[in-house]
Amino acid sequence: MTSPEADVLDRAKPPPAPALIALSGVAKTFTARNGSAVRALDGVDLEIRPGEFVSIVGPSGCGKSTLLRMVAGLDPCEEGTLVLDGRAVAGPSGDVGVVFQAANLLPWLNVRENVRLPLRVGGRRAAEPARIDALLGMAGLGEFGAKYPYQLSGGMQQRVGICRALARDPRILLMDEPFGALDALTRERMNAELQRIWQTSGKTVLLITHSISEAIFLADRVVVMSARPGRVLRELAVPIPRPRSFDTIVSHPAYAALACEVRGLLSAEGGIE
Amino acid sequence: MSGASMQQGASAATLAATPARRRRRFAEVRGSLIAAGGMLVLLALWEGSVRFLHTPSYILPTPGSVVHALWSGLAVSPASPVGYYRPLWGTFHNAALGFVLGSLLGLVLGSLMAESRVIEKLLMPYAFALQCLPKIAIAPLVVIWFGFGDGSKIAIAAMLTFFSLLINSFTGLRATEPERIDLMRSLSASRFEIYRIVKLPNAASFIFAGLDMAVVYALLGTIVAEFLGAQNGMGVVITQAQSVNDVAGVFAALVILGALGIALHALMHRLERRVVHWADRGTN
Repeated sequence: MTSPEADVLDRAKPPPAPALIALSGVAKTFTARNGSAVRALDGVDLEIRPGEFVSIVGPSGCGKSTLLRMVAGLDPCEEGTLVLDGRAVAGPSGDVGVVFQAANLLPWLNVRENVRLPLRVGGRRAAEPARIDALLGMAGLGEFGAKYPYQLSGGMQQRVGICRALARDPRILLMDEPFGALDALTRERMNAELQRIWQTSGKTVLLITHSISEAIFLADRVVVMSARPGRVLRELAVPIPRPRSFDTIVSHPAYAALACEVRGLLSAEGGIE
Repeated sequence: MSGASMQQGASAATLAATPARRRRRFAEVRGSLIAAGGMLVLLALWEGSVRFLHTPSYILPTPGSVVHALWSGLAVSPASPVGYYRPLWGTFHNAALGFVLGSLLGLVLGSLMAESRVIEKLLMPYAFALQCLPKIAIAPLVVIWFGFGDGSKIAIAAMLTFFSLLINSFTGLRATEPERIDLMRSLSASRFEIYRIVKLPNAASFIFAGLDMAVVYALLGTIVAEFLGAQNGMGVVITQAQSVNDVAGVFAALVILGALGIALHALMHRLERRVVHWADRGTN
C-alpha cells in the first residue's frame, strides 16, 4: 500500500507522538433541580498531542467548561474514556494547571503567595523562591510580588493566575475563558503574551474561549463544538506560522477563511452567545 | 532588586498621599468640632430645662450632678474599694473572659457545622430555636447553676457571644465562592488546607461582624448577671445607686459603661481593618 517514496518520507519525519490527552466517547448527564436529566456532552472524541495548543469554541452551554472540568479531574467522567498521559483520569493531577475565569486569585494573599500556593498545598512543602521569581519575571510581574490582587488591573491579575497554574511546572495547562473579563485591547496583549509563554515553556494547552479571533490566533488546532449536547463538530488546523501577531494575522488568507468557517459553523448552531 | 523598587514605590505613594491625608485630617477635626458643639448645646438645654421645670433630681438629675458623681467615682485611688475602678475591672474581666471563651466555642462549633452535614443536621434545629429565644431570659437559670460569683457572669457573657459567633462563622464559611474551592481541589488540597487557606479567610468579614456584635453582648450579659446578684461590678454600682434613689450615680455608671462599649467596639474595628485588609477593595 505504501510506496517506497512515502516510506522514505515517513522515516524522515519523527513518528507522531502519542496523544497526551485522549477523550473517546466522553459524555455527561446532569440532573437538573427539577429532577430532569440534562445531557451536557454526548460522545466527545478528541486527541491532543504533547506541546500542542488547542482552542475549543462552541455556543454557550455546549458543555465546553464541563469538558475542561473533567480533564482537570474536578468533575468525574462517568461515560466514555478520558486518558491523561496513558492513565485514566481519577481526580486532580499535579500534571495539570488550571487557569480560571477572571483570575480567581485569593484576595488575602499577595501576588507571590498566590503564585506559591500550588507549592505549599496538596502534600507539598517545597519552598522554591527562585522558581517563583522566574515565573513572575517571565510574566513581567517581577516588581509586583508584594502587591495584593486588588492593587492590580484585570490583565495583571490574570497573568498572576497563569503564573500560579505554571507553578508546579505541569505538562498541561487548561484555560477556561481566561480573558473573557478583559477589554479587547488588553485581551489581544494577553493573547500575544500567552503565545510567548507557551512558546518558551513548551506546555500542552487546552483553551476554552468565546472569541473566534482568540481561538485562531493562539491555536494549532481549533475544535468547534455543537450546541447542547456538546459534540465535536469539526477540527480545523491553523496553518499560520509563529510567532503570530494581531497586526499581521488578520491579513493572512488562512485567517479569514478559518474565521469564516468557524463563524458559519457556530451560526448554524445558534450563535456564539 | 525588587525590594529596592518596592521601597521606592512605597515612598512615592507616601509623598503623593500627603496633601490628601492632610485634607482628610482637617475634615475629621472639623467633624469632631461640630459634634462636640452639638453635645454642649444639648447638655445646656438639659441643664436649663431641669432647672427651669424644677424636675426632681430622683427623676432626672442635672448634667452637672452627673459630672459630679462621675468625678467622685473617678477621682479615687484605683485600688480603693469605692469608686469605679474595681467594679469596672470586675465587669470587664468577666465580660472579656466570657467573650474569649464564647468566641472560641462558637467558631469551633460553627466550623464543624459548616464542614459536616451530619453535625449541621444534628445541631441546626437547636441553634435555630435558641437563636429565636431571647437568650438573656436564661440568665436566672445560669445563676442557679453557676452561683452568684464570677462563674455565672462569665457563662452568660460566653453564651451570648457563642451564638453570634456560631451563626456568623457558619454563614461565612458556607458563603465561600465555589471557584475558590475548585482552585484548591485542582491542587489536590486536603480538606483542612481548604478550610485554613480559603474558607477561614473568606469568612473573616462575617466572623468580625459576629465579634463586633459579641463585644456588646458580652458586656450586656455580664451586667444582667450582676443585676441578679453579685459582690462586685458595674451592675452592682447601678443597683446600689438605684436603691438609694441616686439617679445621678446611675447616669454616671451608664456613661462609664457606654465609654467602655465604645472603646471595645473601636478596638474590634481596628483589629478588623488590620486583619481583613483586602475587604471592600473590589477584588477580581
